[in-house]
Amino acid sequence: MIAFRYTKTDGAEYISHLDLLRHIYRTLRRAGIPLKYSEGFHKHPRIYLNNPLGTGMRSVAEYATIDTDWRGDFLSAFNSRSPAGIKCLAWAYVADNQNYAAGIVSCTYRSEGINDFDISSLMAAESLPVVDTRGREIDMRPRIYAVERVEGALEFTLGCGENNLRPDVLCAYLAKRYGGECRDILKIASHMAEGLFE
Amino acid sequence: MKIELNDIKHILARVEKPARYTGGEYGAVQPPADAPFCFCMAFPDLYEVGTSNLGIKIVAESFLRRGYAADYCYAPAPDFGEEIKKAGVPLYSLALKKSLAEFDMIGFSLQFELCYTNILYMLDLAGIPRRRADRAGKNYPVIAVGGPCAVNPEPVADFVDIVFIGDGESVDADVAALYVECGGATREFYRRAAALEGVYVPALTEVKYAKDGRICGFESEFSPRRAIVRDLDGAVFPTSQPVPNCESVFDRSIIEVMRGCYRGCRFCQAGFIYRPVRQRGVETLTRQACSLIASTGYEEVSLNSLSTGDYPNLRKLLKSLKANLPQGVTLALPSLRVDSFDSEFAQDARKVSLTFAPEAGSQRLRDVINKDVTEDEIVSAAQSAFDIGYSAVKLYFMLGLPTETDDDLRAIRRIVDLIKSAYGRKPRQKSLRVSVSVSTFIPKPFTPFQWERQASEGEVEAKQKLLRDCLYVKGVTLSWSDYFTSRLEGVLARGDRRLSRVIERAYELGCKFDGWNKYLNREAWTKAFEDCGIDPDIYTRERAEDELLPWDFINCGITKDFLKRERARAYQGRVTGSCKAGCSACGLQKVCPAARGQYSIE
Repeated sequence: MIAFRYTKTDGAEYISHLDLLRHIYRTLRRAGIPLKYSEGFHKHPRIYLNNPLGTGMRSVAEYATIDTDWRGDFLSAFNSRSPAGIKCLAWAYVADNQNYAAGIVSCTYRSEGINDFDISSLMAAESLPVVDTRGREIDMRPRIYAVERVEGALEFTLGCGENNLRPDVLCAYLAKRYGGECRDILKIASHMAEGLFE
Repeated sequence: MKIELNDIKHILARVEKPARYTGGEYGAVQPPADAPFCFCMAFPDLYEVGTSNLGIKIVAESFLRRGYAADYCYAPAPDFGEEIKKAGVPLYSLALKKSLAEFDMIGFSLQFELCYTNILYMLDLAGIPRRRADRAGKNYPVIAVGGPCAVNPEPVADFVDIVFIGDGESVDADVAALYVECGGATREFYRRAAALEGVYVPALTEVKYAKDGRICGFESEFSPRRAIVRDLDGAVFPTSQPVPNCESVFDRSIIEVMRGCYRGCRFCQAGFIYRPVRQRGVETLTRQACSLIASTGYEEVSLNSLSTGDYPNLRKLLKSLKANLPQGVTLALPSLRVDSFDSEFAQDARKVSLTFAPEAGSQRLRDVINKDVTEDEIVSAAQSAFDIGYSAVKLYFMLGLPTETDDDLRAIRRIVDLIKSAYGRKPRQKSLRVSVSVSTFIPKPFTPFQWERQASEGEVEAKQKLLRDCLYVKGVTLSWSDYFTSRLEGVLARGDRRLSRVIERAYELGCKFDGWNKYLNREAWTKAFEDCGIDPDIYTRERAEDELLPWDFINCGITKDFLKRERARAYQGRVTGSCKAGCSACGLQKVCPAARGQYSIE
């Protein structure tokens, strides 16, 4: 099996999760990297992606595992046949499915355009209720792990998976509370309890 | 003006399927920005529909091969259309991200009549005046149309500058060369273009009407005739094609095995306007399929034509494709006739559902429409499909055909019963599913039925009710087409120039995407006809054989005498049969390989 980290930028951020899966599959076909298939009537190639990224959000920290016995320079094989913006950054042979969908517990994002504010007072709040994109009321506070200013941009680590918080929901809240306009959200890191392959 | 995605990201974030509007498809050719001629291939329907179309890729390729720029633009869904209009962002092309108004030519592909309002919608979003008269003397792109509906372009004639009739790969780029030579869309350019085979310039033809409103003459020094590619095997074909960003309607590679059809089913416009039958050779097709699969990563190749079972070397082609394509690539044969159905051909795909199109229930009526298929052939094709594992059949029929009686419709039930009993002849694991789809017959130009009356609402509803009653059977689902849609399609198909006012009015009243049931605005269309004082029924009526038809000035290659002979044979219930069984002298004998006894290029 091969695990790899890849980007979703340069226009690819508008591709839906299901279409992304198709693009990765076709990239591997074009590159001549044979995949193993699931058993059953509707056979599907064994490609395992991390949880869906919201459409329009860019990322340099997407992860996938593919089931293959192929050996070679994966990075150049993949990148020479992949669509713009879907580019492999790092890879490794792994023994089994890294299960990024379940294993990635938090992600770090960078956002620009939100006015300066007192981060410690935000973090001191006991709860931060908002209505999320599906119209449900949620408390953001336990899902926010860290917030800091880095070179003018805001970097924050949020729960992913079970304790999920969409970064655009937080950014909309911050922009409304502190002013400014969130111009861009970029996922810069994904975190797994047992560590990633890199 | 170049549109930056960054500047519209707030819009892209809000709309459905934003990947439709970003371009950057894998395999898309980045056209040279400084080319001597910039062509925008415009498709008046959604991205996922347009990216499935092979014709527009062939047209774009024919410009690229000549060193011109060719880019694409699809009709934005209403959500994105509204947003860019509000934001003052003009409609732009996908690769160059250039405002449409800055191209030298915009070519709309007319795949069916219900896309006409979308031409106006796209022109509007591009900031281009809809009517030719309002663009005159100003520096706007040449607005062109082509595709199957261009054989009767009269309903849109007042909106467009140039109509490409027939095979686009032969003439489209010649017009670009002429444009460059003339230094733009000058008077000389239009006059010289109008003389080319396959080009019609509506401004240079005047239509005369008699007092009763009927057409009494066409005034023009030009006589437009359809362009015909003689050598399909050597014709332009894009051997690498862009892979759409989001799933398209037919997400697979397409090769064009043949153009034209030997059969001449009397209701089928494609069967007449693409004559004569021309083929690509096994070697060429294998090379094209391999190149497409390698460059796209698709897992399926579709062998397209109007009747792929009639390809003389089909067995050889399938063998060659299987031997040369990577393992696991499936082959799709979307247009198999029951009499050419061979279980060997259908082995490859997943054995779920198979589609047959008997078109009419009774033998009598199938003879009238020259379908030339017997009940035994239908049942035995179904039988062999069941024996290799299929457990569902889709059956296509039409209602409202000339001479049709209730008994002809009831005969559909008989076919369904025979298919059911063929399935029951052996023990099978699953229960059979039959879906019967019945569309409404629409008379189309350049067919033997071009003079026929289209069935009225009351008649169609009565026929649909009869079918619902007699096909109320377990395991059988029936679907039918909406009358309003069929009538509108029929009106536009056999319409004349006066309809441009109605189309424009309908668009002003909010009509677009009329082919989509969820968008079709019946009230607005009805009001548009009323506002213009035009009774749609004058277009669905029976036309006299000696009457001048709105498309009569266009020479499609088929003679009117042949169409009249075919119509007479229809009323006598006489089958004409395939061109392979003998030439019926449709008018294209001089350029038809089959007329010379040549049925295969190998």
